[in-house]
Amino acid sequence: MKKVMVGNHAVAWGVRLARVEVISAYPITPQTQVVEKLSEMCADGTLPARFIKVESEHSAMAAVIGASATGVRAFTASSSHGLLYMHEMLHWAGGARLPIVMVDVNRAVGAPWNIWTDQNDSLSQRDTGWVQLYCETNQEVVDTTIMAFKLAETLDVPVMLMLDGFYLSHTAEPVDVPDQEMVDRFLPKRAASYKLDVESPHAFGALVKPDAYMEMRFLQQEALQQVPQTLAAIEKDWQRMFGRSYGALEAYRADDAELLLVTSGTVTSTARAVVDARRAAGERVGLLKMKMFRPFPTALLRDALRGVPRVAVLDRNISPGHGGIFAEELRSALYDIPDAERPELFGFVLGLGGRDITPAVIDEVIEKTRAGVVPSREDLWVGVNP
Amino acid sequence: MPKHTTTSGGAARVPEHITTTNGARHVPQVAMSSMSTLATRTGSWKYQYPAYHDRVAPCNAGCPVGIDIEGYMNLLREGRVDEARDLLLAENPLPAVTGRVCHHPCENQCNRRALDEAVAIHAVERAMGDLAHQRPAPVFRSALRPERVAVVGSGPAGLACAYHLARFGYGVTVYEAAPAPGGMLRLGIPEYRLPRDVLDRDIARVAAHGAEIKCGVRIGRDISWDDLHRTFDAIFVAVGAHASRALGVPGEDLPGVRPGLAFLREVNLGGRPDLGRHVVVVGGGNTAMDCARSAMRLGARVTVVYRRTRDEMPAIREEVEDAMREGAEFVFLANPLAFTSAAGRVDAIVCERMALGEPDASGRRRPMPTGERFTVYADTVLSAIGESTALDGFYPDVQGSASGLEVDALGGTSRDLLYAGGDVTDLERTVADALGAGKRAALGIDRHLRKHHGDTHELNALRFGEGNLSAARWLRRDPIRRTDPINQVVGVDDLNFTQYQRVRRHADPHLPSGSAVTGFDEVNAGLTASEAMDEAKRCLNCGVCTECDVCLIFCPDAAITHAEGGAYVIALDYCKGCGICAAECPRGAITMTQDRP
Amino acid sequence: MSQLRINELIPEGRLLASGHLACPGCAAPLAMKLALNALGANTIVVMPACCYTIIAGPWPQSSLQVPVFHTAFATGPAVASGIRAALDTQGKFDTTVLVWVGDGGTFDIGLQSLSGAAERNENILYVCYDNEAYMNTGIQRSSATPWGAWTTTTPAQFPEASNKKDILAIMAAHNIPYAATATPAYPVDFIAKVNKAKAMRGTRFIHLLSPCPPGWKCGDDEGLELARMAVQSRVFPMVEVEDGQHWRVTMEHAGDPVEPYLRRQGRFRHLSGEQVTHIQREITARWESLQRRAQAEPLVPAGAM
Ligand SMILES: Cc1cc2nc3c(=O)[nH]c(=O)nc-3n(C[C@H](O)[C@H](O)[C@H](O)COP(=O)(O)OP(=O)(O)OC[C@H]3O[C@@H](n4cnc5c(N)ncnc54)[C@H](O)[C@@H]3O)c2cc1C
Ligand SMILES: Cc1ncc(C[n+]2csc(CCOP(=O)(O)OP(=O)(O)O)c2C)c(N)n1
Ligand code: SF4
Ligand code: SF4
Ligand code: SF4
Ligand code: SF4
Ligand SMILES: [Mg+2]
Repeated sequence: MKKVMVGNHAVAWGVRLARVEVISAYPITPQTQVVEKLSEMCADGTLPARFIKVESEHSAMAAVIGASATGVRAFTASSSHGLLYMHEMLHWAGGARLPIVMVDVNRAVGAPWNIWTDQNDSLSQRDTGWVQLYCETNQEVVDTTIMAFKLAETLDVPVMLMLDGFYLSHTAEPVDVPDQEMVDRFLPKRAASYKLDVESPHAFGALVKPDAYMEMRFLQQEALQQVPQTLAAIEKDWQRMFGRSYGALEAYRADDAELLLVTSGTVTSTARAVVDARRAAGERVGLLKMKMFRPFPTALLRDALRGVPRVAVLDRNISPGHGGIFAEELRSALYDIPDAERPELFGFVLGLGGRDITPAVIDEVIEKTRAGVVPSREDLWVGVNP
Repeated sequence: MPKHTTTSGGAARVPEHITTTNGARHVPQVAMSSMSTLATRTGSWKYQYPAYHDRVAPCNAGCPVGIDIEGYMNLLREGRVDEARDLLLAENPLPAVTGRVCHHPCENQCNRRALDEAVAIHAVERAMGDLAHQRPAPVFRSALRPERVAVVGSGPAGLACAYHLARFGYGVTVYEAAPAPGGMLRLGIPEYRLPRDVLDRDIARVAAHGAEIKCGVRIGRDISWDDLHRTFDAIFVAVGAHASRALGVPGEDLPGVRPGLAFLREVNLGGRPDLGRHVVVVGGGNTAMDCARSAMRLGARVTVVYRRTRDEMPAIREEVEDAMREGAEFVFLANPLAFTSAAGRVDAIVCERMALGEPDASGRRRPMPTGERFTVYADTVLSAIGESTALDGFYPDVQGSASGLEVDALGGTSRDLLYAGGDVTDLERTVADALGAGKRAALGIDRHLRKHHGDTHELNALRFGEGNLSAARWLRRDPIRRTDPINQVVGVDDLNFTQYQRVRRHADPHLPSGSAVTGFDEVNAGLTASEAMDEAKRCLNCGVCTECDVCLIFCPDAAITHAEGGAYVIALDYCKGCGICAAECPRGAITMTQDRP
Repeated sequence: MSQLRINELIPEGRLLASGHLACPGCAAPLAMKLALNALGANTIVVMPACCYTIIAGPWPQSSLQVPVFHTAFATGPAVASGIRAALDTQGKFDTTVLVWVGDGGTFDIGLQSLSGAAERNENILYVCYDNEAYMNTGIQRSSATPWGAWTTTTPAQFPEASNKKDILAIMAAHNIPYAATATPAYPVDFIAKVNKAKAMRGTRFIHLLSPCPPGWKCGDDEGLELARMAVQSRVFPMVEVEDGQHWRVTMEHAGDPVEPYLRRQGRFRHLSGEQVTHIQREITARWESLQRRAQAEPLVPAGAM
C-alpha cells in the first residue's frame, strides 16, 4: 500500500506495524507529530497499545524502561532537549540491556533556542549504549523502525533512530507501507529472555561490585559489536520479503572515486544529486552514506574507504572544542590503515541549527577537498560568516 | 514443651524458587539476582546477643505465700484452667481463704498499675479457690517417707506446713487446742468475711492430703513438748499469738471492757453477746475492724478510737472502707487515758487529743499528746490494740524476743528439728505470711530429713526473686515452659506497654451496706467465673514469654522464626543485635547479653 | 484481651530474607517485611536510589523474594507506570506494583514523576519510607527534614531552617483514591492501610515514618519507640485521605509533649528550650488544622449516621 506521509507519520506507521505494546512520550518540536499520530492510533484502536502520557522525557524513558523490563515491546520518541533530559535513563536502558526502540527527530540544542535540525542532540548520547541509525527517507524510516525492534530484541540492546527535523520529519514523501501480516511474520511478538515476573522473581539492576561490573560492560560491548552482522542479516530478510534494504553503510557511485563524500541523514539526498552532476561531468566523485553511527562500523568503513585518495566528511554537528563528530571518529577508525592506502580525510562542519546544506555548499566542500585546503581548526566550517 | 533456641553456622536457607549460582562464577549480561541474601551472614556485625530469658513477675516476688501468680494467670490465659488450679494449689493450700482475707501485697507490686490498675489477683485467686471446691484437684503426694512430723497449731502456718509435708510424702499430725481447726481464720476472722463452709472446704484439702488433724489437744498441757519430740522426727510450732495486749489505763478491768479477740472468738463460735447500744472499739488493726463490724451486726452503734489517722491504720484498706461504709464512726488522733464507770459498768472513755509527730521505727508518724481531753460514751469497750504470743511450758532455750521466736530462712529455730512459723515468730503477722512460713518450714524439714544440704544458690533458684520459695519447683512440677529463667524481677521499665490496651479492673461486688450489717452473710460477693477469667486476662504475664509473636513481628532482620513445636529460633547468623526484639517484647522476656549464647 | 493479638492481624510471610544490609535497628526492612506480608508474592517492586538500594542486597543476591526493578533516583513512579502498563497488556491486572522510595526520592527529586503518576491516577501503590534525610549518601537534609534538625548539610550551629514539606496534603491535592501516613512501629495500623490500599485501584500513597538510628542519632533499639512518640506527640499524625477529600485520623493521639521525643535524638540535641517551644507551637497549629480538615470532611457524612 502506497501512502504519502511526512516523516513523523512514517515513524508512527512503523510503530503501529511493529505492534508496539507500550508507548510513553512527551511532545517537543519537531517530534510532536509522532506523539500526536500515535495518540490518535491508540485512541482509535488501530494501535492497541497503552500510551502513557507522562510529564517529562525523563519519565517517558523511565516508563518505557519499566514496560520493556516487564517483557513487552516499548517505544518512545523525542528531540533535542527532550533527548538530553532523558540522558540518565538512556544509560539505564543501555545498561539494563532493554530492547527499547526510540526515535530522535534531530534538532539543535540551546542555548540559544533553535528548533531546526542538527545532530548534536543524538550524538551527545553516543556513549549511552544505544545503537544509532540515521535515516534518509520516509520509506527508510518506516522500514528501519520495524527492523530496529528485530535488531534490539535479537541482541538485547536499545536502538535509536534519527531523522532530520523538518527536512524529513515534516516532509511528505510517498511510502510503501509494508503489509501487516508480512510484518508480523518478520517480527513476531517479543519473547523476552528475562523479565519482571512474579512467577520467577529476580531483582534487576542491584549494586554490582567491581568484580563483575566490568564483565557486564564487556558483554554489552560484545553485543553492540554484533550489531553490524545482525543488522545485515535482518536486512537480508527484509529485502527478501519487502524488496528493500539500506545497509549500515551505503556506497553510492563510489567505485573508482578519487573523492568520496561521507554523509548521514537527509543531506545524503542532496549529495546524491551533486555526485550525479559531478559524475555526469566525468569527475570521479562518489558518496558513502553512514546510516549506522553506533556501534561505529569501523571494519565496514575501512573496507569502504581503503585506497580512496580523498574523503570529505560532512558533519551537521560539532563537538565544541574539537570538531565534527563523524570526522573525528572516522579519523581514528582509519588510523591503522597503512599510510599508502589511508585516505586523506577532510572534515567539514556545516548545516548547524537547520542551516540549509544546498548543492552549492556541497560543491564548496568538494572544491576545498580537491584543493587540499588544510583546515585552520580541526575541521573546516562551511558557509559560516565569522 | 520445646524451648526457644538460637541457631548459627547452619547452611544458608535458600528458598526453592531462587537458584544459586553454585559458586560457579557466571556473570550474566544483566545484573539479575540469582539467590537470596541468606548467603550474607549479617550476624557477624553484632556486639550483643538477644536471648530468651524468662524472668520473675513482681507479683510472685511480692506474694508472701510464694504463689506463682504469673504462672497460673498464664495458664488461665490459655484456658488451661485445671492446670492453673493445680499450680495455685501447689503453693497455697487455702486459696479460697487467701482470696478473701489476704491483704494482697502482690497487687501493690503489680506492674499493671503503671498502665491502669493492678490486676485483681485476690479476686482471681478466690474464684480459683472456689472452683477448686467444685472441681477438686487430684491429691498429689510424692513417694511416701518413713519420717513423721508433728505440727502444733492449725492456723494457716500449721495447715500450710502440714499440707506441703504431706505432699512431700511425710506422715503429719496436727495438734490443735481449740475444738476446730483454722486458728485465727476461725477464731478471729468473722464469717461475713470468710464463710465457714469455705474455710472448712479449704481445710478439708489439707486433711485429704493425708495430714491428721487432732483438735482439743493443747501441747504443753495434754502432751508435753518433750514427749512430742520423742514421738516425732520433727516439730513445727505454729501456735500463733492469741494474748490480747492490755491498754494499761485505769478502769481497764471494769465490766463492759473486753479484749476484742475474746469477743470475736465468742461470736465466731456462735455466741451473740449483748453489747448495749454504743460500742467503742480501741485500735486500728484488723482485729479492731472485725470487732467494729461484728458489733454493728449485733445491733450496736460503733465508734472506733484510734491514736493516729486513717493513713496509719494497719488494717487492710478494704476492711477500713467496709467498716466506714457500714456506718462505723471513726475518732482519729484519740488516745484513751481512762475508763469511767456508772453502776459498776463502764460508761465512757476519757481520751486525749493527739497530733502526729516525727515518724517512729515503723515509719508511721508518732502520735504526740496535745493535752486536750474529751470523753466518748460507751456501753461496751472492745480493746484491739494487738496480740502477743503466749508460750507456756515451751522450751525456754529457744531464741526469741517479746515479739516472737527467731527463725532462719527455712523456719528453723535455734533447736534442732524444731521449726516455727506464723504469728508465733517475730515475722509479719498475716495469713499469707503464715502460709509462706509453713511452706518454708516444710521445705526446711524435708531437706533436713533427706539430709539434703544444697547450697543457697540452689535455694535461690526456687525463689521468686527475693520472695518466697516455690514448692512446685522444689517438686519439679512447674507446668510453664520457662526459657533459661533468670531470677530477676521484671520492673515496669522492662515492659513495653504498646501492645497492651487499658481494661478496667473487675471490682469486688459488695452486698449493699444496709443489708450487710443485719447479718453475718458474706459481704464481698466475689467475681463470677467468667469475670475472673477476664480479670486473669488483664495480667501482663510479666517476664514470661507467652509466645505472642511480637518479637518475631518486629525483628527487622527476619531473624526470628517459629521452630517446629511452637518455640522460637533466633538465627544468630543474621541477627544484628539491634535489641528491637528485647525492647518491643511486651513483658521483658528477652535480654540482650554480651556473651554469645 | 489486654494484649492486642497483633499476630492475628498481621499476615505471616517469608518474602523478606535475612542477610539484607540495613543497619541494625533500621525500620525500613521491617516496613518492607510487613508490606510484603500484606501484599503477598504477586507484587513487583520498583526501587529508585535510596538506602533500600543497598539494603536489598548486592547482585547476585536479593533479600526480596519478589521481582525488583532498581532504577534511577527520580524515576520510581514513571518506571512503575511502565510496568503497570505492560502488566495490563499481559492481562496481569492483579499484580501489585509497589514503588518503594525514600523521602529524597519522594519529596525532592522524584516529586515531578510522582505528581505525574498521581495525576494520571496510575494503578500503583507508592510507599515513601521517610527517614527525614538522604541517608544513603550520609545524612544530608531533604525537604522532609524537620525544622531544627541536624544533618551533615545543616550543621548544629545552622540546623534545618525550613519546615518539613506537607507531602500528604500535596498528594491528597491530586485527588488520588488513597493517601495515608503510617509507621512500622504501629504495624496493625500500617497493615490495615496496606490492605485497604491493596483493594483499591489507582494511585495509592503511603507515607511511612521510618526511624534510622544512625541518622537520628538514637540507639539501635529506640527507633520504633521514637516513631510512636512522634505519633503520640502529633509530630507525625496517623491520617488517611480518600479521594483527596475525606480526611480521617486513624488512631488516638495522646498529644504528649514533643520535648522528650526531641531530646532522645542526637539530631535535635542542640535545640534550645525556646526552639523546642517553637516546635511545640508548630505541632499544635498543624494538629489544629488537621482537626479542621478531618472535621470538615467527615468520612461518613453527618446525617447518614
Ligand atoms: C481478728 C483478726 C483478723 C485478722 N484478719 C486478717 C486478715 O484479714 N488478713 C490477714 O492476712 N491476716 C489477718 N489476721 C492475722 C492472721 O489471722 C494471723 O496472722 C494468722 O492467722 C496467723 O496464723 P498462725 O497459723 O501463725 O496462727 P493462728 O492462726 O493464730 O493459729 C494458731 C493456732 O494454734 C492453736 N494453739 C495455740 N497454742 C496451742 C498449743 N499449745 N497446742 C495446740 N494448739 C495450740 C490455736 O488454737 C490456733 O488455732 C487477723 C488476725 C485477727 C486476730
Ligand atoms: C540523580 C541522582 N542524584 C543523586 C544521587 C545520589 N543519591 C543516591 S540515594 C540519595 C539519597 C536518598 O535519600 P532518600 O530518598 O531520602 O532515601 P534514604 O537513603 O534516606 O533511604 C542520593 C542523594 C543519585 N543516585 N541520583
Ligand atoms: S501484671 Fe500479672 S504478672 Fe505482672 S505483676 Fe500484675 S499480676 Fe503479676
Ligand atoms: S515478644 Fe512475645 S513471643 Fe517474644 S519473647 Fe516476648 S512474650 Fe515471648
Ligand atoms: S530484633 Fe532481630 S536482629 Fe534485632 S536483636 Fe532481635 S533477633 Fe536480633
Ligand atoms: S542509614 Fe538509616 S535508613 Fe539507611 S540502612 Fe541505615 S538505618 Fe536504615
Ligand atoms: Mg531518606
